Amino acid sequence: MGAAVGWIRQAGAGLLTVGAALLVSSCGEKPLPAGTSTERVLFGETERIRSFDPAKAGDVASALAIARIYETLYQYAYLERPYRLEPLLAVAMPTVSEDGLTYTIPLRRGIFFSDDPCFTRTGGKGRELTAEDFVYSIKRIADVKNESSGWWAFQGRIVGLDEFRESTLGEAPSDYDRPVEGLRAPDPWTLQIRLKEPYPQLLWILAMHYAAAVPREAVEYYNGRDGRARFSHHPVGTGPFRLVQWVRNYRIEYERNPMWQETGRVERYPDRGEPGDAEAGLLQAAGRPIPFLDRIVQYVIGDSSTQWLLFLRGRLEQSGIGRDNWDAVIGPERTLTPGLRAKGVRLHATPTLMTTYIGFNMDDPVVGSNKKLRQALHCAFDGKAWSAFYNDRMIPANGPLPPGVAGARGPDEPNPYGFDLEKARRLLAEAGYPNGVDPATGRRLILTVELGAANDPTTRASAELFADFMDRIGVRIENSYNNWPTFLDKMDRRQCQMYRLGWVADYPDAENFLQLFYGPNSSPGPNHSNYTNPEFDRLYEQARTMSDSPERTALYRAMADLVIEECPWICLAYPLAFGLQHGWLLHYKPHDFPYGMSKYYDVDIEARAAWQAREW
Amino acid sequence: MIPDAPYGTLIRTRSLWGNAVRRLWRRLDLRVCLLVIALFTAAALWGEVVYWRYRLRDQTPPYNRVDMSRAYRPPSPWSRPFARAVEALGPRASRFAILRKGIANLFEHPLGTDNLGRDVAQRLIQGARIAFQVGIITSLIAIPIGVILGLIAGYFGGWVDDLIVWIYSTVASMPGLLFILAIAMVAGKGLKGVYLGIGLMTWTGLCRLIRAEVIKHRDRPYVTAARTLGAGPVRIMFRHILPNVFHLVIISFSLRFPSAIGTEVFMSFLGIGVQGEPSWGIMISNARLRLWHGMWWEMTAVTVAVFVVVLAFNLAGDGLRDALDPRLRTGDTP
Repeated sequence: MGAAVGWIRQAGAGLLTVGAALLVSSCGEKPLPAGTSTERVLFGETERIRSFDPAKAGDVASALAIARIYETLYQYAYLERPYRLEPLLAVAMPTVSEDGLTYTIPLRRGIFFSDDPCFTRTGGKGRELTAEDFVYSIKRIADVKNESSGWWAFQGRIVGLDEFRESTLGEAPSDYDRPVEGLRAPDPWTLQIRLKEPYPQLLWILAMHYAAAVPREAVEYYNGRDGRARFSHHPVGTGPFRLVQWVRNYRIEYERNPMWQETGRVERYPDRGEPGDAEAGLLQAAGRPIPFLDRIVQYVIGDSSTQWLLFLRGRLEQSGIGRDNWDAVIGPERTLTPGLRAKGVRLHATPTLMTTYIGFNMDDPVVGSNKKLRQALHCAFDGKAWSAFYNDRMIPANGPLPPGVAGARGPDEPNPYGFDLEKARRLLAEAGYPNGVDPATGRRLILTVELGAANDPTTRASAELFADFMDRIGVRIENSYNNWPTFLDKMDRRQCQMYRLGWVADYPDAENFLQLFYGPNSSPGPNHSNYTNPEFDRLYEQARTMSDSPERTALYRAMADLVIEECPWICLAYPLAFGLQHGWLLHYKPHDFPYGMSKYYDVDIEARAAWQAREW
Repeated sequence: MIPDAPYGTLIRTRSLWGNAVRRLWRRLDLRVCLLVIALFTAAALWGEVVYWRYRLRDQTPPYNRVDMSRAYRPPSPWSRPFARAVEALGPRASRFAILRKGIANLFEHPLGTDNLGRDVAQRLIQGARIAFQVGIITSLIAIPIGVILGLIAGYFGGWVDDLIVWIYSTVASMPGLLFILAIAMVAGKGLKGVYLGIGLMTWTGLCRLIRAEVIKHRDRPYVTAARTLGAGPVRIMFRHILPNVFHLVIISFSLRFPSAIGTEVFMSFLGIGVQGEPSWGIMISNARLRLWHGMWWEMTAVTVAVFVVVLAFNLAGDGLRDALDPRLRTGDTP
């Protein structure tokens, strides 16, 4: 993975509270004029949407919006855990050649783009999707002029694509007819991708919105000239919904894509889930055609207390739980307060694929060369107290891999350098700093932790808490607060001694976390610890080209153990995502990658009307 | 009114300053203000002592020590000090022991604890130290700039005056707070940025005042006399005119002190002020997290402290202006 770090990653990295707020921002509701309609409408809340262009959007809210309109070759099986991909626009999972380099993907027939004036040849009727659309869409990601935030996913992977990127560098318009050797459509219903080296994570990438099918006609037609909208404002896709209206920063409305009915396209609600789904009522709709919703209307509501009050009034069917209303909503056992539970509100607390950590810069003369010192500091970190500080909204981490990815440690496998003050003191003495005192100066060792987000009081308080943990073994921590760009810059220039950051998975594969320790990924790459270990690099290179198998999991585990032993990170916690739903939001199941999942949701309009009548 | 005195009799009058102090002390409200300022100064000095004591011993000071088990304790009088003493000692303990323990509990955290279980009272005193430093150091930056430029502009007039007026008009026309933030960003985080930011932006008012006053003075007989005796401009400005306009500096100092504190609070609130030490701004920023849950004590303690100190300085500054105004010198003669 190269230096280009997408918005999704940056938004996740460092922002500890990102989970709950973002994951639940997909939909909501608002009362209908009573009795006028049986239309199933979801009125809800969203973060600000930046763009509808799959190549450009990198933030979570835009990705959620895009995934309602555009579709990808593969999608996550909605109910199944661990996460599994299933075909969406493809007929089946790809055929992979012996050497793991050539992926042949058969496409579904009878998938149509929604009607739009941009299809001039068919007089505005939506045309059928072909493999060329995917070739074109991936080329768009590579086009320098598009400044795509998704280039990291394809960089250095597909034969000829990097050369195509170079050809777009000049001022001349990019030539999309220029062939890319590794990206071909032998016939309209087959897509063939040739890789430079095996890259089994490609399938996860093909499920991201960056790889969504975009019609070339629309991109060329909606160029912002002659009174036409720009393409980023006027999406044309094959998805379950289409955009009706977008008032930036205020309101957005989607409606059921009529093309599905016209062309007889039928998608069905999944009939397989994990144990417990049937009891939770998630399989009631199994086999029924989706989407259930006729319309989705969302508002941008900046103020969290406004959001909360709207939720209580039954005008939003989902809500995150802010730090401020935490105590009012969640009891000491991390369950919903009886009042809300009795009203049918449901609480979802789910682990997210995220690890927060304090990294050591291995280039630093003090911490980089002293493994015992790093281990001592790791042992001094009190994960339980840390989670308690965050209202137990996190699980103490026992390694770099969060639960849910292959190779992660189970809850019964504690980190050998978990909280143990005695051990910490012993290791510290062995590291050459008995009681934290540096014999060279006769004074306590001072270490500096760099942090982003200087003006957030929670970050500051938690930083002081961390300093106190280290103070207990005699090490003095100085917190250095930066604004976010300065912080990123310092890490890229390897100027941090220690730094605090988080990592949200781009796809549910341990490789996505382990690449953070891969030598060639050192800063300005994502390996901000500049951790280099030939043994690790060897294992990583071996594992990253392997497909999912017990052998690969063993390799992942070995790498994670190596990292735990070498301590380039102090692993802090795995944040949980908390969300509230009203009882009338049907078929809702939290997902780490909830893109495109509103097609499974449904609302019980009568229950909602009853709540609103009662609450008003 | 000065009575007719026999020729050769010395008329004993008080000096300007002696008279000012006497007039200040005569007013009860100002006496209270001076007392508050004295207390504030004492707290700041005490904070300085505590800070250096732990700094030199290389220990973590108590006001920065985290104890999560004590987080969010209300001020002792609100936390049932005597009931807790009974609980701790058991019902059969002697009344005296319970009384002693209860009183000890009463003074344990007189202003409560914050989100990390640190004592708010101790942190308030350390905050006073930062506030005091900011007030003094920014004045040391701003006042010399204002005085020197004001003297030069007022004394020389002409194009020098034009130039300086242009400079201070330009600086004054910039939105102050934004410019302070910009300077602080350039100077780097921490107090250095705060000092420079506030210091370099707040000299214009004083400069304008001094210039106007010097223009009034530069053709007075005593200045003309000094010039006739061969004194150079620097000597005239600093030895002759400056003492006559210096009361403006004192007044301006007492009035800018609280506004500097306010600015520091604001900047620390935004996260570009002091690092790693408690300041009032940081405490306010911290306290607002749980304010609506009824954790009122940290916010209350800091805002009351800021309010009282700022009010005291403002009232004292006003009083000082009155006291140093020669036109209000009435009934001073013995």
